[in-house]
Amino acid sequence: MKEQETAPEPQSGIASRAVLGDPAAGDLAALGSAVVITHEDIDRAHDREQVSATRARRGFRPRLRLFWLLIGPGILVMLGENDGPSMLSYAATGARFGVGFFLPFVVLTFLMACVVQEMTVRLGAATHRGHAELIFERFGPFWGWFSMVDLMVGNFLTLVTEFIAIRAGLGFFGVRPAVAVCSALLVLSVALMTHRYWTWERIILGAAIFNLAFVPVALLTHPNWGAVGRALVTWSPLPGGVTQETVLILLANIGATVTPWMLFFQQSAIADKGLTIRDIRMGRVDTALGAALATVAALATMLATAPLFLRHMTAANFEAAEFAQALQPMIGHWGAALFALGMFEAGMVAAITISTSSAYAFGEVARRPHSLNLPFSEGKSFYLVLLVEAVAAAGLVLIPGIPLVYIVLVVNVIAVLAMPPALLFLYMLVNDREIMGELVSPTWANALALAVVTILVGAGLLFGVSVIAPNALAMLGGR
Amino acid sequence: MEKQVDSAREPDVSGAMSRDEVASVITALEPDQLIAAKERHHVPRRRLTRTETVLFWGLRIYLMFMVGVVMYQIWTGAR
Repeated sequence: MKEQETAPEPQSGIASRAVLGDPAAGDLAALGSAVVITHEDIDRAHDREQVSATRARRGFRPRLRLFWLLIGPGILVMLGENDGPSMLSYAATGARFGVGFFLPFVVLTFLMACVVQEMTVRLGAATHRGHAELIFERFGPFWGWFSMVDLMVGNFLTLVTEFIAIRAGLGFFGVRPAVAVCSALLVLSVALMTHRYWTWERIILGAAIFNLAFVPVALLTHPNWGAVGRALVTWSPLPGGVTQETVLILLANIGATVTPWMLFFQQSAIADKGLTIRDIRMGRVDTALGAALATVAALATMLATAPLFLRHMTAANFEAAEFAQALQPMIGHWGAALFALGMFEAGMVAAITISTSSAYAFGEVARRPHSLNLPFSEGKSFYLVLLVEAVAAAGLVLIPGIPLVYIVLVVNVIAVLAMPPALLFLYMLVNDREIMGELVSPTWANALALAVVTILVGAGLLFGVSVIAPNALAMLGGR
Repeated sequence: MEKQVDSAREPDVSGAMSRDEVASVITALEPDQLIAAKERHHVPRRRLTRTETVLFWGLRIYLMFMVGVVMYQIWTGAR
């Protein structure tokens, strides 16, 4: 921290072309009353004043407070991605394939998520702009719209699955689907009524921590810790080799940790929170902490739900809350209730963060106000996009006979397939010296990013082969 | 000032603020963090190189093809 405070600050390309001059250098007088100040500016300035005052103080407690002030987007995005379909993927994985290959594989996917999300931290702090805004301005509307369509379609499908999880979680307590879905919409709306990014972030952070509810559930199933430790250390080969089923599970697990909405959400949230270049280090800590918490919750879910799949539970039963019911004989009513609440929380937090990422992206592209600091009267389009998308997804879940199981299965796969084009935009932006200045990615970060893209494209192509020519998998040692 | 912010977007509230309050907001934020500054100053468009264009189209075709594969899988699964 001391080094950070004394070392010369790296300059972003945009910051170096300061548009209003340096207030400390006496430009304030020149600005006079001509400068335009909005509600959003005032709220953000208030948050930044607290950060500056805390940073100026020495000692452990101010550092702890600085940490508290600056964390948020990283934890939210990582725990938000531990959502309904992700939890289902982890559950299916643990039971069907054991822990030998997939426990360390899930750790690897979260490391991949860290690599990717760190780039959005730098990009957001250096440019103070959202991801969609940068893509549109830097690459033009032609490529920008492609990126937006990918995001919006993916977000909508994912939102549907979040409401499936909400319905399933509350279904355990006998709550009817319509009541469950409407309650979730009410919670989402109440969180927005704060009209303040900071308050909204703290509320959602508090809710997101309940993602760890899967940890006590896992403990109640009495996992074989020796096997868990061995799995993490030795990383045994893929059981049964490369088959159509293992490829699908591989893709679902990758899609459970690395998805396009995360890029858009974290960068926009960082811009909305007002993080600057000086906060990048803490932004990285925030992201790593979020990834660590999410990894623990993901591994716990795999361990907790493994016994369920021995009873041949499938995704078709997901909407009936039968997972929690089936767990009940093994872990008791309270354990099963905790699992159901965890599923509800996973869907609820993800529904909020994903719909917010859509609203940010829409506002950035349409050049409409887009901030959680806005009162409703000033941010109508932002709040309406958020709510309309959530209501539409919730409504779809309530249509009788709709094949929810297919939507759940397909969502993570589509997320993986849409990631390489999204990562190309991110890679090019974060290496663009004109906007990033000295904050462009170092060679090692680029090598890691390219490795992530290679893994994602490889996994996607493997999936394609497994569907179109399943017999070809035999050449890869599978069946 | 090159261009006024569109008041239909976010209203200017500086008129209701004292000079000191305006100054404290400007001091607390980085120059390009102000909404007015972002509205005025846009990131310039970059020209894609041939390699970049090929990469963009390549990944776009990859995505379209793979979505088709997913649809095919759903269709065969439903049968």
